[in-house]
Amino acid sequence: MSEELYKQMAQCIIEGESEVAIELAKKSIELNMHPLETITKGFVVGVNYIGDQFGAGEAFLPELVMAGEAMKAAVAVLEPELLKLGEAREMMGRVVLATVEGDIHEIGKTLVGTMLSASGFEVVDLGVDQSAEKIIGKALEIDAHIIGMSALLTTTMVRQREVIEELDKEGLRPRIKVMVGGAPITRAWVEKIKADGYSEDAVGAVKIAKELVGKADQ
Amino acid sequence: MEKLKFLSDEDVMAMHEATLHIMSEVGFVWNHKESLDILLGAGCSIKNGRLCFPADLVMSSIAKANKRPVIRGRNGDANEIGGGNLYFHNLGGARDIFDAKTTSRRPATDEDANDAIRILDALENCHTITPFYTPPNVTNEMMSLHMFRNTLPFTIKPVQGPGIQYPHEIKFAVEMANVVGIKAQELTLSLSPVSPLTMHDVAAAAIIEMAKAGVINTNLPAPTGGATSPMTMTGSLVQQNAETLAPLVLAQIINPGCGVIYCGRLGMLEPRTGLIWSGVELGLSSAATVQLGHYYGFAVNVYGFSTNAHTLDAQNAFERGLNATIPALAGADELSGVGEMEAGVMGSHAQMVLDNELVGSVMRLRTGLSADAEHLALEVIGNVMNGTRNYLGQKHTLKHIRAGELTLTKLAERNSWETWDEKLGRKQMADYAIDKAEKLLKEHQVAPLEPQQEQELDRIFDAAARETAKVKK
Repeated sequence: MSEELYKQMAQCIIEGESEVAIELAKKSIELNMHPLETITKGFVVGVNYIGDQFGAGEAFLPELVMAGEAMKAAVAVLEPELLKLGEAREMMGRVVLATVEGDIHEIGKTLVGTMLSASGFEVVDLGVDQSAEKIIGKALEIDAHIIGMSALLTTTMVRQREVIEELDKEGLRPRIKVMVGGAPITRAWVEKIKADGYSEDAVGAVKIAKELVGKADQ
Repeated sequence: MEKLKFLSDEDVMAMHEATLHIMSEVGFVWNHKESLDILLGAGCSIKNGRLCFPADLVMSSIAKANKRPVIRGRNGDANEIGGGNLYFHNLGGARDIFDAKTTSRRPATDEDANDAIRILDALENCHTITPFYTPPNVTNEMMSLHMFRNTLPFTIKPVQGPGIQYPHEIKFAVEMANVVGIKAQELTLSLSPVSPLTMHDVAAAAIIEMAKAGVINTNLPAPTGGATSPMTMTGSLVQQNAETLAPLVLAQIINPGCGVIYCGRLGMLEPRTGLIWSGVELGLSSAATVQLGHYYGFAVNVYGFSTNAHTLDAQNAFERGLNATIPALAGADELSGVGEMEAGVMGSHAQMVLDNELVGSVMRLRTGLSADAEHLALEVIGNVMNGTRNYLGQKHTLKHIRAGELTLTKLAERNSWETWDEKLGRKQMADYAIDKAEKLLKEHQVAPLEPQQEQELDRIFDAAARETAKVKK
């Protein structure tokens, strides 16, 4: 019974059906299924599948987004149940995401946030046009493991360096890792500004984030 | 989609009238007695020693022709030519094969020809097959039937018949087609009149045999602008039009209503070398040929992919891209040239795979744009502005990616420099095409003919060889 339900859960994530995901999450509660197992054996399987497909060039970005949204919807139903049991889904790490100051592009960053959330990270997305001060302030406030910064413009990507320099100045680098991304970002730039990681896409970003928090095998 | 037009209605009318003038006043070199008797009996006349066609005979013959012929493959799939679809077929009759891996060439063998047909059979955007290579070990007299016989086992797609040179070939070609379940009325055979305005005895006799057999007539005049037709393209097209219509008149007198595909293979002279020009003017003249043929209501088959390039280089890509796109947008019903290089002298497996990809883009252009409610997407725009303010997570987005709003090419490189450089080993489109051609050759199997069909084809071929030997004597 539960095996069949797990399959349906994975499938609704693959198909990006948020409403179905919510229904199945509710059904699992009615059936007294363990919420953590529902997430890991059911919904996460779908997210991982679509991520792999995307990585192999077999799935489209909208499928990734829709799968991430459906995952978030299912987890929102199940999280109160976990709390009732005094448990929590294993939190992979806390991440502050932002598009840097002067840049108002956010689709890529939002997608990274969705995929990180779907993969078990706790994500605070500050939005666009965020100063170094605000980004670092929020990271300290929530005791973040990672700051993720996006920039779409070659003219604004330099702001990524400002945040890193500020973290260095404050001696925060060992504590807070920095991921950068965005269309103009190259490996050479990442090395130049001494960021800890970067990825060309949201699926890769999840992989990098896991590595940065020492959970690459999860 | 509105068709691309390079000629105004007045231009087309002027070219039509010029054609009738050439046919009725200038005339053809035409000495074949049997066909002359038929045509003179139908109202033609001799002026200055050349055969002239009265306008009313030309027009009544055009009116009689079946302009929507259907060609069929041995699995029963049918292509209605002129029904609004665009069908692509390969180049026919190349001498050499280009090895894209070593960038070398050699004369193509029977095995190369069989491989080529098998690859084309696997490529979804090659819709009909023409016998591809002319192996060097085969005599000129037997070449057409040899190529046709060897093509049939390696594809289930409709096979466009070979270029016919001699009248006695026709009955054997029809018999071979019958063996794989194709009727004469579903078989195309082509014949090229000689430019300028000359019908040799064997060609005239072949037209009679083709009409009697009821095969679809795809006469292929191939004038060379600047050498065997005027240097000006409209002048060449007018001459080509006359060369297409004259054999059609003879065929329609003998077998009224037999099928016709209006073909043109006008090529311009490369004035610095004497070779055939594959610049963009080829696309231009092909598009104009389409416009002229459509004026009469015919389905039209012209050059598509064409290049003078010797390798899979930039010149190759821009020439073949333009030369196929322009007539496609003019409304062509069939385009040729899949796999061709060096103005038709050479073919390549990788080129076939690349053309398969290019056809996808050409077809996308033909599809054009829609401005219906679904595509205007007003509801989605409203929803997005009230919600996430991006379209990535919308079902509408995924639906239209899947519905083909974009041509999702499989070979074109669309990654970042880093991915291309570090993960993909700097592979380019041609490299992927080479790999795919090798994979198809390894994996694609075509349902073989029954043993008795193979025996029957051999028997027909042997009978043809005996008759050819007699004719030669």
